[in-house]
Amino acid sequence: MRDFLELAVSATASGCVYGLIALAYLLMIRPTGIINFAVGEWAMVAAFGGYVFLTKYELHYLLGMGIVLAFMLVVGWVSERIAVRPLVEKGTAILAPILALLGVLVITREIISISFPPDPLPVPYPFELQHQKYFIIGVTAVVFLGFWAFFEKTLWGKSFEAVALNRRAAALMGINLSRVTAFSFAGGAAVAGLGGLLVSPNISAHYLMGVPLAIQGFTALVIGGVGRVEGALIGGLLLAFAEQLTIRYAPIPSGFAQGVPLLFLMIFLIVRPTGLLRARA
Amino acid sequence: MRWLAAFVALAAAAFFLGDYHNDVYRKMLLWVMLALGYNFLFGICGQIAFSHFAFYGIGAYSAVILLFQLNVPLPLAILLGVAVCVVVALAVAIPSTRLEGFYLALATLALAQLFVVVLNEGGAVTGGTGGIANYRLPPIFGFQLRGPWYTAVIVFVLLMTLWILIKLDRSWFGRACRAVRDNPEAAAAMGIDVARTKVIAFTVTSALAGVAGMTYAFVDNTVNPPIFGLDNAFLLLFMVIVGGSGRHAGAAIGAVLLFLLPFWLSPLVGHHHVLVFGVLMLAAILLQPKGLIGLWDRYSR
Amino acid sequence: MGPILEVRGLSKRFGGLTAVAGLDFEVRPGEILGMIGPNGAGKSTTFNLIAGTYAADGGEVTFGGEPLLGLAPHAIAARGVMRTFQHNRPFAGMSVIENVMVGAHTRFKTGLISVLTGNAAREEAEERKKAESLIEFVGLQGLRDADVTTLSFGQGRLLEIARALAGEPRLVLLDEPAAGLTPDELERIASVIRGIAARGIAVLLIEHDMHFLLPLAHRVVVLNFGAKIADGEPAAVRADPAVMDAYLGSHAAAR
Repeated sequence: MRDFLELAVSATASGCVYGLIALAYLLMIRPTGIINFAVGEWAMVAAFGGYVFLTKYELHYLLGMGIVLAFMLVVGWVSERIAVRPLVEKGTAILAPILALLGVLVITREIISISFPPDPLPVPYPFELQHQKYFIIGVTAVVFLGFWAFFEKTLWGKSFEAVALNRRAAALMGINLSRVTAFSFAGGAAVAGLGGLLVSPNISAHYLMGVPLAIQGFTALVIGGVGRVEGALIGGLLLAFAEQLTIRYAPIPSGFAQGVPLLFLMIFLIVRPTGLLRARA
Repeated sequence: MRWLAAFVALAAAAFFLGDYHNDVYRKMLLWVMLALGYNFLFGICGQIAFSHFAFYGIGAYSAVILLFQLNVPLPLAILLGVAVCVVVALAVAIPSTRLEGFYLALATLALAQLFVVVLNEGGAVTGGTGGIANYRLPPIFGFQLRGPWYTAVIVFVLLMTLWILIKLDRSWFGRACRAVRDNPEAAAAMGIDVARTKVIAFTVTSALAGVAGMTYAFVDNTVNPPIFGLDNAFLLLFMVIVGGSGRHAGAAIGAVLLFLLPFWLSPLVGHHHVLVFGVLMLAAILLQPKGLIGLWDRYSR
Repeated sequence: MGPILEVRGLSKRFGGLTAVAGLDFEVRPGEILGMIGPNGAGKSTTFNLIAGTYAADGGEVTFGGEPLLGLAPHAIAARGVMRTFQHNRPFAGMSVIENVMVGAHTRFKTGLISVLTGNAAREEAEERKKAESLIEFVGLQGLRDADVTTLSFGQGRLLEIARALAGEPRLVLLDEPAAGLTPDELERIASVIRGIAARGIAVLLIEHDMHFLLPLAHRVVVLNFGAKIADGEPAAVRADPAVMDAYLGSHAAAR
């Protein structure tokens, strides 16, 4: 029983990280329709930021976290400015910014790879090891509650929804589309960064950590559906549980465990691409 | 005619290059082959997929496994290798193309990663993370194809690939693919079965990638997992975009340029040529979406 | 001659809103049937139901004796029903003639294997000739190899029609063909539409522009709130009080 509880906590913590990445995607997809695979690299950047400010400079955890997240807001905003806004203004198909962001993905990864030594770099835990998981779960819960409240209760949140539903109508109603887009990218980068920061004490900061996270986060999004914030978290949790249960109890070699999110992604895409939760009517 | 001249010219070049340059030349030819097929799927049919290298790998590993573990004769091995690619392609494409836009891209992303996982965990069959090595192309009619002669084979396969793609491009099928790319709803109104068109384009180009893979297997006489992963898939996408998507010449130029660039740049940027690729790709999308071939068109007027 | 298109009891709801309610009408070969009505009357919905873009909730649509409802749009086109779009939708990556040849997609019979073995050349040449004559028919001669993004709005409209005709349809659905055209362009498009009907093809068109439609159509069907409120010759419909009430209003009454 204790075995299972341990697994449950572990899976929940993993699921929270996936959920955060999924949330990052969601924040950008909803108002623009753009799927930004660079979220994985953003998580990685934040992890390296964690190394710099927390390990190298040994700042207090909250201060370091704050600086890294603030930095991620800027990164997201800059990415949008360079790779998205000029294309949206030119009126290109949605494909163009998605591809441009792939370019950003690669550039980001290479910049990090050039700037840091190739071995995985340590990022410290804010509390002792066994409490890390609860920290992750706690922080994620706060973030999701915050975003849920933002979209449900505030005017800004509602204008975000309006843009998601109908860009042209929203613009006609006076909502500033480019500001919404800029915020969604900045916010997406910060959320992805948070995910990277939370997961990095476990796996260390490494320049290849981005793509697997991007895929896992995306799978979580596909499972949960793009329509609702909660979907991202639920998708993440389901994926993490499926992964951990498979690794622990299924009689297949552990290397195949990496294949679980991928298999899930393919199955969900084929069977239920709109995700488990429906968008609000 | 022109095809014969092209074959002779490209194949003959191999005989004047030393061993090292021959190797580079062959790899370049293979990249061009892959880029041409990928360009048809992405540039002409408008489908994003990340599985091209996975099919390259399926072709390569199938050839090696069929020939040296199952001892299948060469002609049959080739046919079966292509058949495997076709079956996998259909399995992925048929469900994905019922859906809109990006789903094929995601399914192929998953496939690409899954393929590498299967290779790594494949134990004795796939040789695991080290792959399979130490085999040689069996003699054909008693003749051992080696060195520049094998390069000529690669040239032949490349030209055959190009011929197939051009023929398809200039037919009703090519127009249907472009229509699906440009406006799928209008294409359906014209009688085009959009899903079927996408499936055919995906399957044909994936099978061609598989054939390229079979050819590749005997270039280094070794196959191992890292080559067939996502990084190269991204690179292929970058090549097609920078060169000019939608045009065969564009794909070829992009492939040649981005393949040779690391050799020229290595004194400057070492292993980080990928950074340059990313920048070029971004520049292409932002400034010159028609790619280098678009620039060429503009200045040759 | 009997009708080629028969619509019986066609209905469609969107959530709580009834867009089309029990609609009945027919179109005969060589006839130009105009469909008019105030905004929201259900004209576009009807159009899209026949073209297969929407699924109907009830009723029947019979084309040449065969049922049309439930078929996918590409299958409907293959049966001989071609359509244009209200906002021009050319294939931007292809030239004018290639766009028209896409319209002829269902006419190509050679399979892919024949394409690869080179046996498709004759069919390709024949279809190309047909496409060229269609380009002339709509009045776009000289623009055969032009990039479609360089066409004017009016030229784009003519391309839409040429493309639809390339499929050798027995029925064409024209979605507001006159919208946004200059008087010269209106004349040209009216004569093209008459030419289509003269070839024995049935024409169903949605239109708001009465000056354009009433002299052109053989018959007019008027919709309001998803139901038919009048059906007859243009002059009769124009004088129908129910129609004037619902749609034409004081503007027409004053004329």
